[in-house]
Amino acid sequence: MTPEMDDQGCPRCKTTKYRNPSLKLMVNVCGHTLCESCVDMLFVRGSGNCVQCDTPLRKSNFRVQLFEDPAVDKEVEIRKKVLKIYNKRDFDFSNLREYNDYLERVEEIVYNLTNNLEVEGTKQIMEAYQRENRDIIQKNKAKLTREQEELEELLLLEQQGNEQRRLETLQEEQRQLQAKRKSKQALLDELERSHVPATILLAQHKDRAAQLETQIEKQKQVVKTTIFSTGIPMGQTVSLLTVNRLEEVLYHYQPIHMHTYGPPVPELEQLGRLGYLNHVRTAQPQDMAGGYNSGLACHRAIQDAFSGLFHPLG
Amino acid sequence: MFHISSQKKYWTFDNEESLEQLRYEANQKYRNKMLASGKPGVSDAVFLEAHEENVLFRHYEKRLLDFCNAFKPVMPKSVVGTAIMYFRRFYLNNSLMEYHPRTIMLICAYLSCKVDEFNVSSTQFVGNLVQESAAGQERALEQILEYELLLIQQLNFHLVVHTPYRPMEGLLIDIKTRYPLLENPESLRKSVDDFLTRVTLTDSGLLFPPSQIAMTAILNSASRAGLSMESYLTECMGLKEDKETLLKMYDAMRRIKSLMKKYELPKPDEVNAYKVKLERVHADFGTNSNMNG
Repeated sequence: MTPEMDDQGCPRCKTTKYRNPSLKLMVNVCGHTLCESCVDMLFVRGSGNCVQCDTPLRKSNFRVQLFEDPAVDKEVEIRKKVLKIYNKRDFDFSNLREYNDYLERVEEIVYNLTNNLEVEGTKQIMEAYQRENRDIIQKNKAKLTREQEELEELLLLEQQGNEQRRLETLQEEQRQLQAKRKSKQALLDELERSHVPATILLAQHKDRAAQLETQIEKQKQVVKTTIFSTGIPMGQTVSLLTVNRLEEVLYHYQPIHMHTYGPPVPELEQLGRLGYLNHVRTAQPQDMAGGYNSGLACHRAIQDAFSGLFHPLG
Repeated sequence: MFHISSQKKYWTFDNEESLEQLRYEANQKYRNKMLASGKPGVSDAVFLEAHEENVLFRHYEKRLLDFCNAFKPVMPKSVVGTAIMYFRRFYLNNSLMEYHPRTIMLICAYLSCKVDEFNVSSTQFVGNLVQESAAGQERALEQILEYELLLIQQLNFHLVVHTPYRPMEGLLIDIKTRYPLLENPESLRKSVDDFLTRVTLTDSGLLFPPSQIAMTAILNSASRAGLSMESYLTECMGLKEDKETLLKMYDAMRRIKSLMKKYELPKPDEVNAYKVKLERVHADFGTNSNMNG
């Protein structure tokens, strides 16, 4: 028994999901929950008052609760209503600051309505806004519906594709099953009829079965290429908008040149050959174990000796 | 490396005059600040002049050197060099009247041990203040920790100091490898060390790259010992063609040597007179508690 089955209960009849697994909690505009059966009982007339807060409610306003906390559901409903009116988008504003201010105002309104603060004032603000921005609201509504339609179309296409694939695989399986059965039957018939010894027949049958297997494998591997890897379906004419070619300069590696203001220092690898290492203390085995070698100290000393020697001219 | 260090960028000046100017300005800034604050007993005569500060600076610098030399465990030379350089840089931009050199001197040594990775615990450090009692050492440590951040700030957080000791080693190695004309470079080592110790007490560290100072030390010691090393610069350093750089090098070396000649230990009676004045200033206008010693 999971914990959430136990705590979500109807405040009136106290049944929980544990006792009645098909229990559905419904939320109304005041934010309080009731189970389905209680709703039917109390609102048999169509309207009534909330059990906990006594606000007048209608039965039609009850919606199935989606969130654990009924307050969240209430806010979601309010937000949907507010956003139907306040539906401006980011490109409706000239700069980011204005857009953020607008969003801030929307949040204020939603907050006020959810927590029952200044409900009257907020409603008036909303009405005023609606009156002023009527045409923009209409325009955005239209845009929104168009976008939703496009999304739905895509979803539909995807679903259809999935369906098709499922059917195809099913059919394929059927065919394979049938083929197998046929070959078995053929074997039995031959064992009955023919005069060839049984072992040879069995061997032949095995061969044929193996051939069938490979055939099936090959068929599976034939990928039905209907779409290109980018997702564009084959055969569809794509309108190619001219993409602006970005001319970029190819990067060329330039080695770093350090101005040491002094004579050139021999390379670390050359030090031994040039005889420098003879004048440095030889590294003990303990030092060498850690990766030290006398060339490192020698090189460092020479670098320091030559660095800045010709300063300030270099 | 020196050529990309903050020492080269920010703490290497062109000539002695600019250093004098900076010290004079530090002195003036403190005077003006005190005169403007309107405290009782403030007048021009009470304060130290820039050259008087210089005398006291040299006195305390010598004391810092002695402290570092008497330090137990033995302080490596680079740590000593770094400490003196911090001391010098600090008082380039600040007046001795504002921060007493006695305190700053110890903080320079302490910071230098940390920066140069010469591991000394703070108790061990103050244990070297042999004239103090245990309580005195405690107080000294508190003072050190109090002013440490100030020192770092006044050094502008440029804590890595390139001293001439490693360049000196490098040059000796190079001479032994490439310059067989000089038979026994090791014989020069003692006088070179001596030269380098004396040069840290001058302003050379703020004017010349450490490699040039090391080169000066070696060439000087060689000429003193009667050995000729002129061709080292022209042949090995490839300066035979580059007359300009060669001249500059000789000029730098000459300037370093003259700075060394100019240095003299401060006279005791002068020191005492100015010390009295300094103590007066710190007692009357100073905000910090004084330490003995």
